[in-house]
Amino acid sequence: MIPTQWFLILSAVLFAIGVCGVLTRRNGITIFMSIELMVNAVNLTFLAYARQFHQLHGLIFVFFVMAIAAAEAAVGLAIFISMFHHRETIDVDEANLMRW
Amino acid sequence: MISFIVFFFFAAVAVIFGLVVILHRNAVVGALSLVASLFALAVMYVLLDAPFVAALQIIIYAGAIMVLFLFVIMLLNLQHQREAPTRPIQQFLGYLGSAAFAIALVYYVAKYSVMQLPPGPFVADARTIGIRLFESYIFPFEMVSILLLAAIVGALLLSARGATSR
Repeated sequence: MIPTQWFLILSAVLFAIGVCGVLTRRNGITIFMSIELMVNAVNLTFLAYARQFHQLHGLIFVFFVMAIAAAEAAVGLAIFISMFHHRETIDVDEANLMRW
Repeated sequence: MISFIVFFFFAAVAVIFGLVVILHRNAVVGALSLVASLFALAVMYVLLDAPFVAALQIIIYAGAIMVLFLFVIMLLNLQHQREAPTRPIQQFLGYLGSAAFAIALVYYVAKYSVMQLPPGPFVADARTIGIRLFESYIFPFEMVSILLLAAIVGALLLSARGATSR
């Protein structure tokens, strides 16, 4: 049986990769994919602890996280389509209308 | 023994393709790498005795969400666009910050999460999950369905061309 800590470490590494993508990229869709990576890292943590404590709550949470990730992807991509129609780019640095 | 080999192989696959997602300049390559990374994570879910969640991971993430991403990339013709390079200071601070974050997270996970419960009855098949989902989690379940409906309507309104001019 594989120790829970290994899954947690893998999850931490994947989450940090996602953080790095959000911080360093300018393409909006790539930033979105990094967020999906972070969401999946959190799902892995939920499942690792669910097995650790023999509880189903973590598993159920993974369902809700997946549903909310789907909703987030649909709305976020629609926002990027709308932004592309207005500005011909999805570079997030160009969306500076509300920037101080 | 074989499960350890499987774990390390697919952990490496997940991390390497995750790095490709954030390092490659082409969005299509990034999306396909993310699909590979999510498949590797589905194998992790199987190793964690949750095969039903693994199936859902492949169906929902690789089947639905990533197709949506690829569809938007193709729709906007982004596969030919070169992304403008990030400012060096932002890049440096981003790499430094996320590396520090990763090291701190791994350190604390390795140090403080040392616990081993005896293996007990952990049944995570579709039947058990379904019963639990429709008994004690029925209210959040319905809330999520309303949220998905709202997301569909919002996405339709936002992406309709000329919706703002009407």
